[in-house]
Amino acid sequence: MTALLDAHAVCKSFSGIVALHELDISVDAGECVGLIGPNGAGKTTFFNCVLGVLRADSGVVRFDGDDISRLRVHERARRGVGRTFQRIELFAESTVREHLLIAERTRRGDGRLWKDLIGRGRPRPEEVARCDEVLDLLGLLRIADEPIEHLSLGQGRLVEVGRALMTDPKLLLLDEPTSGLDRQETADLAATLREVQATKGFAILLVEHDVEFVAGFTTRCYVLDFGSMIASGPTADVLHDPAVREAYLGAPGVHQ
Amino acid sequence: MIVAAALGSDLLRAVLQGAPPGAVYALVALGFVLTYKTSGVFNLAFGAQAYISAAMYYKAHSDWKWPIVPALALSVFVLAPALGLVLERLVFRHLRTASSVAKLVVTLGLSVALPSIFELIIGFEGVAGRTPDGIVPRGAGVFYDPFGVYPFSRNELMSMGVALLAMVGLAALFRFTSIGLQMRAVVESPRMTELNGINADRVSAFSWALSSLFAGLAGVLIAPRFNTLAAPDFFNLVVVAIAAAVLGRLVSLPRALVGGLGLGVLIALLGTFLPRWSKTHTWLRPFQENLTPSVPFVVLFGVLVLWPAIRRTREVVDPLSGVDPPPPSLAAATRSAALTRATRLFGVVALATIGIVVYARADASWMFLVTQAVIMSTIYLSVTVITGLAGQISLCQGTFAAIGGFTVFQLADRHGMSVLVAAVIGAVIASGVGAVLSLPVLRLGGIWTAVATLAFAYFFDAVLVKISWIGGGNTSILQGTRVPRPVIGPWDFADDRALLVLAVIVFVLVAIAVIQIRDGTVGRTLRAIRGSEVAAEAIGISPARARVTAFAVSAFIAGLGGALLSIQQRNVNYGSNFSPFAALFWLVLVVSLGARTVEGAAQAGASFALFDMLVLRGSLLGWILRSSKRIPGVFPISAKWRFVLFGLGTIQFARHPEGLVEYSKRRAFARAERLTRTRPDADQGHEGVDESAPVAPVEESVR
Repeated sequence: MTALLDAHAVCKSFSGIVALHELDISVDAGECVGLIGPNGAGKTTFFNCVLGVLRADSGVVRFDGDDISRLRVHERARRGVGRTFQRIELFAESTVREHLLIAERTRRGDGRLWKDLIGRGRPRPEEVARCDEVLDLLGLLRIADEPIEHLSLGQGRLVEVGRALMTDPKLLLLDEPTSGLDRQETADLAATLREVQATKGFAILLVEHDVEFVAGFTTRCYVLDFGSMIASGPTADVLHDPAVREAYLGAPGVHQ
Repeated sequence: MIVAAALGSDLLRAVLQGAPPGAVYALVALGFVLTYKTSGVFNLAFGAQAYISAAMYYKAHSDWKWPIVPALALSVFVLAPALGLVLERLVFRHLRTASSVAKLVVTLGLSVALPSIFELIIGFEGVAGRTPDGIVPRGAGVFYDPFGVYPFSRNELMSMGVALLAMVGLAALFRFTSIGLQMRAVVESPRMTELNGINADRVSAFSWALSSLFAGLAGVLIAPRFNTLAAPDFFNLVVVAIAAAVLGRLVSLPRALVGGLGLGVLIALLGTFLPRWSKTHTWLRPFQENLTPSVPFVVLFGVLVLWPAIRRTREVVDPLSGVDPPPPSLAAATRSAALTRATRLFGVVALATIGIVVYARADASWMFLVTQAVIMSTIYLSVTVITGLAGQISLCQGTFAAIGGFTVFQLADRHGMSVLVAAVIGAVIASGVGAVLSLPVLRLGGIWTAVATLAFAYFFDAVLVKISWIGGGNTSILQGTRVPRPVIGPWDFADDRALLVLAVIVFVLVAIAVIQIRDGTVGRTLRAIRGSEVAAEAIGISPARARVTAFAVSAFIAGLGGALLSIQQRNVNYGSNFSPFAALFWLVLVVSLGARTVEGAAQAGASFALFDMLVLRGSLLGWILRSSKRIPGVFPISAKWRFVLFGLGTIQFARHPEGLVEYSKRRAFARAERLTRTRPDADQGHEGVDESAPVAPVEESVR
């Protein structure tokens, strides 16, 4: 069986500085995989290569069996690569439900200008119902009509998840979902995400600094340092790997 | 050998001939880059500043008969820096953390307002048909010919000398003085700089005064090159300077200098060496004749579109801007749906009443103005689409409108086609041009879209208007661009009353279309892109496609409106209606009144056509007092106040991008709701929502 996401020998360098070196990373359908490493390890660069924000210098990114290395961001999104942002990116002047509605409408690819002109562009009941289903799943139904300016950071992150879910992603890339959240919010987010993932069955690739969150959430993880893979395998084993501890905490002896 | 020598001397002459105007372009470019570098403001009002100094010099020297030195001292060394200080203190200091697009819009407003303010205060009227004096005695009459091929006038030598001196002075300032270093720090982050104990306000004020001095210098130096003294020429000059400045990516002073000189020389070279195609191919003549003045616009457009580096020039974003509170949402989003319906109904009823009164009672001149207001409102809906919905600043809406007007002129007057069919064809052509133009332009984003559309508008103005199958060419100069009124069956629209009805019908149809688009998929998609382009892409939206749609729709509306306006005036009247500088006022007007809503467009249209007549001439007060004889003596107030008021109105754009109408409405609704709130559970929806922790990165909605 081929993996859902199969990145093979991905290289990327910025004016001579190697950001990614021959990375092989794969995610199976329905799997939760972590991607960790110290700052500057290349996690975000790899994310961007998968999403299409950046294009890898060499190597292949396969998704669902197809080579998507040359596709643009929105084309990859339509094939089922969803994401959330580290620094929250929401649509100003829109309510929570509107975020999901536009994603739903985009997924259906039903946005012809003439339909707007004859008044068929407004949300239809079945679209609203589908949005509300996801909002309910995320516990956001109560604030569906709030402008996003009124939300807390944790709620905003859930809105991002909901918006991504409306596109029926096969793979969801979470970019440091816990950044800026306190302990309780992090725990709530983890619980909600786990529940939603169990219901919908999509795969998750997670970039995260919070090791506890990664340990509780993923089954497998990859560790990057200076653009190269230094460890991979079941999360529990990897987190106890001396090389990983060294990358995170510095050479043994220095911090003792 | 002789040929080579002749070629050599031709070349040398062209270079020498191009150097003096090049030096002035360079001077403007230097000042422009200086403002951009030190305050992050893409200062399109630079031309207005230059105009003020040039006009002041003219007034002092030619009208008041002051000698050169005091006149120069007043206009350049006192007035110009003072103006810079005032602008910095009253306007730009408060906008430091605003987005660069918001700042650009404010400078557009100032370009419109400043010349009128100056003219009102000093009592200056634009000069036409007379070449302003330079800053050296008999500057245009005494020549020096050092190389034996091209005689420099004293004015020209002066321009070159001043430009050189300015460059050296600036370089020394940045390199050797602490204020130069501080200026560079303030660009990065004014608040960061203040944390380091530097008074950012003082540094910013200094740099504004300095760049304004440059504007003043350039103004008095360039003035003798025109045989008029009018604000639009100076706005044009800034666009040329931007072309020079982008060659230095807007940050390099030496490259701006080289760019300015290069442009001057390039224009002279083209003038000397272009083969005279026009003898065999007459259709090429308009290109040929107008090629040289349009060079800067072609260069500007080409550089922006073809040189990716300029697009990657990061907008100056204050690293600390994230701590600002997010902008408020639209009134419609926060008030109840019933209230919205009620106000809409009220608006429609009020408009219908006015319409019926005008239709039944108004005399010919009022009928004309009201019809014009309705048509302008239609055109302004095109700004609502591109700026309000898509968040892009387009400065070529006048050009799209002109395409509509010229199409009707060509098809109806020259080929006898039905006028209304021709109007629709005009709109379709405008829409096509808009769509094609949007492909290279909209990728640029932010201020670059604005600048590229401005370059296109000037290119159209300089070259395309003069082509006989577009603007009518030479025949239209003599005969005008006549546009007939349509006749459909029993309705003859030569009757102004019938035309008013037609204009209202078109406006209502377009307004409904705009509302449908805004509430439909296209509008939501555009709003998503405006909110966060990366997030929109991440859910599968193609920003390019959405923006092409927006641009095409906007150009269609502008083209339709332009056709109607030409039909109403029975003439295209390109110069007064659609020229780039005239169309600048449109954007200023719509943005200051409200670019997001149909009401904003309608009020902008009404203001454009009726403000002068109703308010400034005192007619409204006359009606209130029930006698035109009782109008107080202060009326009529100069029509220039339109430019002043609405130009300054853009200043609030940075804080209230929704416009004055929407802003005041939201305040009124908020007050009304506070008064009427009796049910204790009225705001149940807010419960449990943590308002104290707003989502951080809701940034400027127009970028």
